[in-house]
Amino acid sequence: MSNSMIIGQYVPGESFVHRLDPRSKIAIIFFFVLIVFFANSVMSYGLLALFAIGAAASSKVPLPYIMKGLKPVWFLIIFTFLLHLIVTKEGDVLYNLWGWKIYEEGLVQGAAISLRFFLLILVTSLLTLTTTPIEITDAIEELLGPLKKIRFPVHELALMMSISLRFIPTLMQETEKISKAQASRGVDFRTGSFKDRIKAVIPLLVPLFVSAFKRAEELAMAMEARGYRGGEGRTKLRELSISKLDYYLYALFILLIIGLFLTRS
Amino acid sequence: MRSKRILILVEVAIFSALALLLDVIPFLSFKLWAQGGSVSFAMVPVFLMAFRWGVKGGVATGLLLGFYQVLTGAYIITVLQTFLDYFVAFGVLGIAGIVSRPVWQAIKEEKKKAFVFWIFIGCLVGSVLRFIGHFAAGIIFYGSFAPEGQPVWLYSLLYNGGYMLPAFILSAIVISLLIVQRPKLLIR
Repeated sequence: MSNSMIIGQYVPGESFVHRLDPRSKIAIIFFFVLIVFFANSVMSYGLLALFAIGAAASSKVPLPYIMKGLKPVWFLIIFTFLLHLIVTKEGDVLYNLWGWKIYEEGLVQGAAISLRFFLLILVTSLLTLTTTPIEITDAIEELLGPLKKIRFPVHELALMMSISLRFIPTLMQETEKISKAQASRGVDFRTGSFKDRIKAVIPLLVPLFVSAFKRAEELAMAMEARGYRGGEGRTKLRELSISKLDYYLYALFILLIIGLFLTRS
Repeated sequence: MRSKRILILVEVAIFSALALLLDVIPFLSFKLWAQGGSVSFAMVPVFLMAFRWGVKGGVATGLLLGFYQVLTGAYIITVLQTFLDYFVAFGVLGIAGIVSRPVWQAIKEEKKKAFVFWIFIGCLVGSVLRFIGHFAAGIIFYGSFAPEGQPVWLYSLLYNGGYMLPAFILSAIVISLLIVQRPKLLIR
């Protein structure tokens, strides 16, 4: 069903990247975003690109899916490149196109920064491509664990996330059903003036919200009836565990950091 | 009262999911520019929770919506920018809840003008705070890849202002219409 795919872009698989612990993936991405800014030479960018493209390749996610994730940013990547090409006026003049001079520095800067941008988007989109939303939620709960000490409601947050994920397909169907019902009564969502379209949304939102409140009340009652009383002593169906694969990833990443600092200029 | 706590928890969860849905359903978003920019009703459920449960409920709904935005594909350039753009900006939407008391009061007394006024103020507060979050994140975002000396604050102002202003107007109108029709949505 298309419904199960509605949130995120998860592509099922059995690859190295899929089998990593979601906590490791999030942590590595966090540090990757931090270290990308240290690259400043061809070699150091090369290393980062090797890591990112290697990770994408080993995830075995089909290329079209990866490209789909990058689609909204192609424009920005190209725009960045052109902006640097036009604005930067340092270094030697490489070409002279009818009075528009392209400077060496502009080309280098533009290429470096668009590449940085591309790598960041590639690595971060790999997380949602290879990890289910439920896994990410579990990982977030674990990673935020220390915040419990300052009375931040980590468990409640994670519970709300899993309830939301559970309800997204249901609410999706409901929205579809109500919009069809209202369309059959003559409500037009797609055309008309701005005012007409706002008016058309009200008969969709009212029943949608009313039924959402009803569902919430039923679920709250069911939870209470089964004795839900917060995070203390609650057990889990799926436990996260760090495996050998994760240690390989850490080792690889530490090598990347060392390599990065050796190749910086 | 424990039962209320569970109910808040569940309502916030379900309404943050609704907010995400309203953001992604294509026929419910208004095309602004040919090049992708669109305005959706995603803020409506967040404001609804804020007016119903106060600041806490609103902020929780907003935070969750921000988190789902990250899950469905986000622009992650720097850690601080991501934090501002998705967690702070959506979280502060819930501060609209500071007007929840005057709104209830006006509903109880059936003063239509008064509650539309307070709802408008609430939406304005939430939207302005969200804009500040995106604006600050935008400066970091553009600053990290625009050449030196470019007026990045202006890019950020134009880009973020360009959709925040219509989104604010749209949400304020929709939520006022909703509550004029069904004041019970806010009575808990």
